[in-house]
Amino acid sequence: MRGTKVLAVVAAVLLALACLPVGGCSVDGAAEGGEGSEPYRIGAVLSLTGTYAGLGIPEKNAIELEVARINDAGGVGGRPIEVIYEDDATDAAKSQAAAVRLIDEEGVLAIIGASGTGQTMAMRADAERAGVPIISMAGGSVITDDFSEWVFQTPWPNRIVVPFVLDQMAAAGHTSIGLISDTGGYGVDGRDYVLAHAGEAGVTVVADETYNAGDTDMSSQLTKIRAAEPDAVLIWAAGKEAAIIARNARQLNMTQPLYGGSGIARAEFIDGAGEAAEGVRLGTGKILVPEAFGEGTESYEVATSFISRYEDAYGTKPDIFAGHAYDAIGLVADALGRIEGEVTSDSLRDALEKTSGWVGIDGTFTYSATDHNGLTQDEMVLYIIEGGTWRLDR
Amino acid sequence: MEAAEFLQYVIAGLKSGSIYALVALGFTVVYGSTGIINFAQGEFFMLGGVLTVWFYGLGLPVPIAGLAAVATTAALGILFERFALRKQRSAGPLVLVIITIGGSMVMKSLARHLFGPDELSLPEFTPGPSIDIAGAAVERQALWVWGLTIVAVVVLWWLYRKTRLGRAMRACSISHDAARLMGIDTARIVMVSFGIAAALGALAGFAVTPLTQTSWDAGAAIGVKGFAAAILGGLGNPVASVVGGLVLGLLESLSVAFISSTYKDAISLAVLLIVLFARPQGLFGSARREKV
Repeated sequence: MRGTKVLAVVAAVLLALACLPVGGCSVDGAAEGGEGSEPYRIGAVLSLTGTYAGLGIPEKNAIELEVARINDAGGVGGRPIEVIYEDDATDAAKSQAAAVRLIDEEGVLAIIGASGTGQTMAMRADAERAGVPIISMAGGSVITDDFSEWVFQTPWPNRIVVPFVLDQMAAAGHTSIGLISDTGGYGVDGRDYVLAHAGEAGVTVVADETYNAGDTDMSSQLTKIRAAEPDAVLIWAAGKEAAIIARNARQLNMTQPLYGGSGIARAEFIDGAGEAAEGVRLGTGKILVPEAFGEGTESYEVATSFISRYEDAYGTKPDIFAGHAYDAIGLVADALGRIEGEVTSDSLRDALEKTSGWVGIDGTFTYSATDHNGLTQDEMVLYIIEGGTWRLDR
Repeated sequence: MEAAEFLQYVIAGLKSGSIYALVALGFTVVYGSTGIINFAQGEFFMLGGVLTVWFYGLGLPVPIAGLAAVATTAALGILFERFALRKQRSAGPLVLVIITIGGSMVMKSLARHLFGPDELSLPEFTPGPSIDIAGAAVERQALWVWGLTIVAVVVLWWLYRKTRLGRAMRACSISHDAARLMGIDTARIVMVSFGIAAALGALAGFAVTPLTQTSWDAGAAIGVKGFAAAILGGLGNPVASVVGGLVLGLLESLSVAFISSTYKDAISLAVLLIVLFARPQGLFGSARREKV
């Protein structure tokens, strides 16, 4: 009997530990804001656990940092911002439930999120039903291609990144390319755009291989690509598999240059690929090397100020996901500040849509009634990995 | 297709295949002595990788860090059996299998909590350019993976065939009751087999991390592959599991070569199903009475 009790205690402790990171929601921000002024309540649905925890955690860091800065400076028009965080555990069903809770129980003005494309799409129906704007930090093209007046997006979708990278490859004289992409949402979306835009960019896809998340070796696919003798290889992938591809290519003595997009714009790719990352080129936004914005420009000041504040607070440089979140909360604060008259979800949506020339990390945003991404290829830059870090190519 | 290119596909297949084999061995060892499928086997693979990186981060050299990770994981496997499974043994295999699923969730969550959500890297054991074998490139780390697989299989074979413990484990796999009547401490045998299974999984995770990186969620996918390999070869037979792993790896690689990478997993799965229809006991399993 005593043994059973011990077991029960052990089980309870383990369960408690396991559930810790999944703890429902937490509130922060300056709820204590000055002179009883009512805070603006904003929801945030992030993947703090699960597969996209590597996205959700820096996103939460950036939002907390920015909310604290805005509130310390007196809030928006004298009213502080309060953010209510929900973890969707990288699960579309949970993000939908979180959106319902934020809308119906917390009465938020807008929702920042989700971290992932599938999770964002799952929140749409409820946001449209209740008339609450969503500012997504996910990069899937579908988020703004499949247009909804209530859904906005901060990262550069594949619609923008793919043609940019293909143009860069063509400009470097690589007119026949081998493609390797993952079978997840990011890879499939990217592959569709590569196949659709290759002709326009003047490149031919001579090999088109895929792999599944969790695969541990891609040398078979690369052997097949090598046999097709392309000028260069394009990796449209995210996660640790992208680093395996770079390693496998190096080990197979492939001489073709490797290209990629935002999916490999992470320090973990360089750590994982090691030597094999050297010389890999990737197209993404300018946060990795803020000089790309042009020193002295407003964008440069915004980016370097954010980078140094983030480094002070968290001890690491912000990654692209932190940038997506900076923009999401920044766009909301900017729109709130421009509202004349009563602040409601409706007036916030209208103000967001009128965003014009707002300078953020992912670029300078100009939304319109038909464009809720607001970015162009001008925000893209080509990097080359050298000496274990990113440098501007050419 | 040139011979060198074909050889390259075979090498790629054997590389993934030997990892599947090590994970499959873990399934087989536990199944042999308990008759249950341990769905936490993939997590032992993950723990082997993340713990090696953690010990390496403390300043230990890679081989020592790897040994420490394998030993720690083996200890966790033993604790898992002793405290989570043993009391429920009388509740039947289904309950035990569900407990292993719960255990895998707990291990995953803890690993994410302790080691973070991002990928973790480990340097290669012997860095350097790949080795040329008849025109095909072989990574140095792949040689380590094969070497460690062979060592593990030989040690396991020796243990099963030449030691008292091994005899007792085999006796348990034939009949728990009869083994107990012969004076074998069956509870201890089950605990030891969990330790061995955890060590095998951790060894695979340790050997492959320099090639693939690792992370808290690396266990699920490899667990499925290892399970498929064990079924393909024939559950409960160590040699069959190894062959099953290698066959699965080769099937995947050759599917990419001759058909399409898109259908790689579908083809392996189809072959698995065909084998199970034709030979429910697996490719090399003996057709002995199914244990409950």
